[in-house]
Amino acid sequence: MKKLQIDRFQKVLILIIVLYSIFVTIKNPSFFQIATLFDIIRTSSTTMIVAIGLLVVMLSGGIDVSFMSIALFGSYTAINLMISAGINNIFFAFGVSAAIGAVLGLINALLINWLKLPPFIITLGTQNLFHGVMTTFIGDKSFGAGVLPRCLSGFGRSSILNIGGSKLTASVIPVILVGILTWFILYRTMTGRGIVAIGNNEESARRAGFSPFRIRLFVYAYSGILAGIMGMLYVCQTNALYPNKLVGDELTVVAAVVIGGAKITGGMGKILGAVLGVAIIYLLNTTLIMIGLSSSWNDLFVGTILVISVAVTSYQERVRNRNHLIFTE
Amino acid sequence: MKKKLAKLLCPLLSASMVFSAAAVVQAEESATADPADYQVVMVVKQSDSWFDDMETGVEQLKKDTGLNVSVQVPETGDAASQISIMEDLIAQGVNAICVVPNDPEALVPTIEKARGAGIVVVTHEAPGIADSVDLDVEAFINEEFGKLFGEKLATAMGGEGQYAGFVGGLTMETHMAWYTAAVDYISENYPDMECVTEEPYEDGNSIDGAHDKTLELLNAYPDIKGLFDCSAHGGGICEALMEKDMTDSVSVVSLALPSMSAVYLEDGSMSAGLAWRPADAGYATCYAAYLLASGQAVETGTDLKVTGYESVNVEGGIAYGNAPLEFTADNISDYNF
Repeated sequence: MKKLQIDRFQKVLILIIVLYSIFVTIKNPSFFQIATLFDIIRTSSTTMIVAIGLLVVMLSGGIDVSFMSIALFGSYTAINLMISAGINNIFFAFGVSAAIGAVLGLINALLINWLKLPPFIITLGTQNLFHGVMTTFIGDKSFGAGVLPRCLSGFGRSSILNIGGSKLTASVIPVILVGILTWFILYRTMTGRGIVAIGNNEESARRAGFSPFRIRLFVYAYSGILAGIMGMLYVCQTNALYPNKLVGDELTVVAAVVIGGAKITGGMGKILGAVLGVAIIYLLNTTLIMIGLSSSWNDLFVGTILVISVAVTSYQERVRNRNHLIFTE
Repeated sequence: MKKKLAKLLCPLLSASMVFSAAAVVQAEESATADPADYQVVMVVKQSDSWFDDMETGVEQLKKDTGLNVSVQVPETGDAASQISIMEDLIAQGVNAICVVPNDPEALVPTIEKARGAGIVVVTHEAPGIADSVDLDVEAFINEEFGKLFGEKLATAMGGEGQYAGFVGGLTMETHMAWYTAAVDYISENYPDMECVTEEPYEDGNSIDGAHDKTLELLNAYPDIKGLFDCSAHGGGICEALMEKDMTDSVSVVSLALPSMSAVYLEDGSMSAGLAWRPADAGYATCYAAYLLASGQAVETGTDLKVTGYESVNVEGGIAYGNAPLEFTADNISDYNF
């Protein structure tokens, strides 16, 4: 495995980003500045984290649509705990939220393994279940900027780089750490190889000595942990806590990961692809004002790119199969 | 306000039990239907501190009058979840449904179904569909409230410069009415102020929506001097301005909730906040629903028993109160919703 391999598909994504950026710059030159890049990194950072988590799940041949619910559950519970106990520590916040995420992720994996139902159905159910448990038993009040622990907005507003008044948010740190960790797990550990293996063919993977159950436990717990981190990061950035945000935005993330070239049936997908997929969606989303279009155009753009990228992925696979003399139709 | 009301009501209620001193009150109550016999359910837009406060108002109404009233909170802030709650309520056969529609037009068929089943439907924040409901209750005439946004923004900006406005969503009727009134008011009275867009931006009723759009706006229109938000998420604008160190050069006026916006008013990043008391609006709306369900009329001069709605002005199926609230850094700490 070569390092930082950029395949043809990712080149297409980068090309779309470059061409679109040139188009926007021509329409509105103020787009072309470092501040725009930093802003897009800032606004997309939360989605990046869950997209990477989802990619890992999709690599294993599963799907998770409960991660936003987990993100909300983790952050809401952790912050409630912090407010009532008077704790003001950013590491505690992220730690507790991630731990709750891990537990909820494990519940997903156990249910999938026990009920032997498609992960989509299970996680669709747990999405509602987790959110319902949270609003019923933990709370459904909103918290404003004045009540939240100070460390959260402190972290949300802090920056690690300042170029001519444009600041790069500190939120990029967890994104990079998550990216590196995930890369290491996927390409440098047996678990990572196992994830791709059961995504390609579960039976073959089992015969090769991988335990699909254990790998599934890991995959959904990992997705849950990342969701927990994401939920807390989201609160740091918005500096407000609502009991009903995030949930309902899952499919945008699924779209981003699919645009990034991950196969919905598993076994194929790259971290860089997922990152580029998120970048494209946010690029389209945050340039509408620049080119003077209303926000309904966003759905049209994302939909078009989604259809094109799915078509390209499937076409590439067919070509590859023909080259290997595999005829599926 | 609430305390004043409680002070007024407590002796009345206790006196009516003793029945010597409160002959007037008793006469009134025996002449009307017993509130406890009527089931009124209020369907709010979503769960946030605004509607949390509305719920406290509705609970207060229950305590004050004994009316069998409760609140239903949709999981998500869209018309679909409100419709499904209303369908359930129609099946249960409640006496009256109060609703704060997310998308008024989308609710009309369900509202007609409810009324066909003999249920009184009273809306709040939906003057555009007043023909389809029994009554719509508004805290004020929307155009007047919209003008306040324009006035506050113009004052904060010194009457000149570029500005832009946000709404929660383009289908949100009241937000759009305020937006239009604010822009019209400014263009009539402040020729040196320029609105940079044809239509308002949508913050999607979320802090991060307002935040992300603001970042983009600041890049697209670096000379912008003022922003106003007709949804209660102007805090997102202030957060974005703080990140960019631009709180001094850009003024913000927003619909505001003390619990969510006090910080921004106090640190000066938000110049003015506007609102009405959701608890009072919920109280008045549910009380009006009870009056209608029990066969009593709501007409100009009717007292809906809560501050700002003591003598409503009914016009074209809409009952207008007179209850705008203005927040500044000085008075924000007096409110706790």
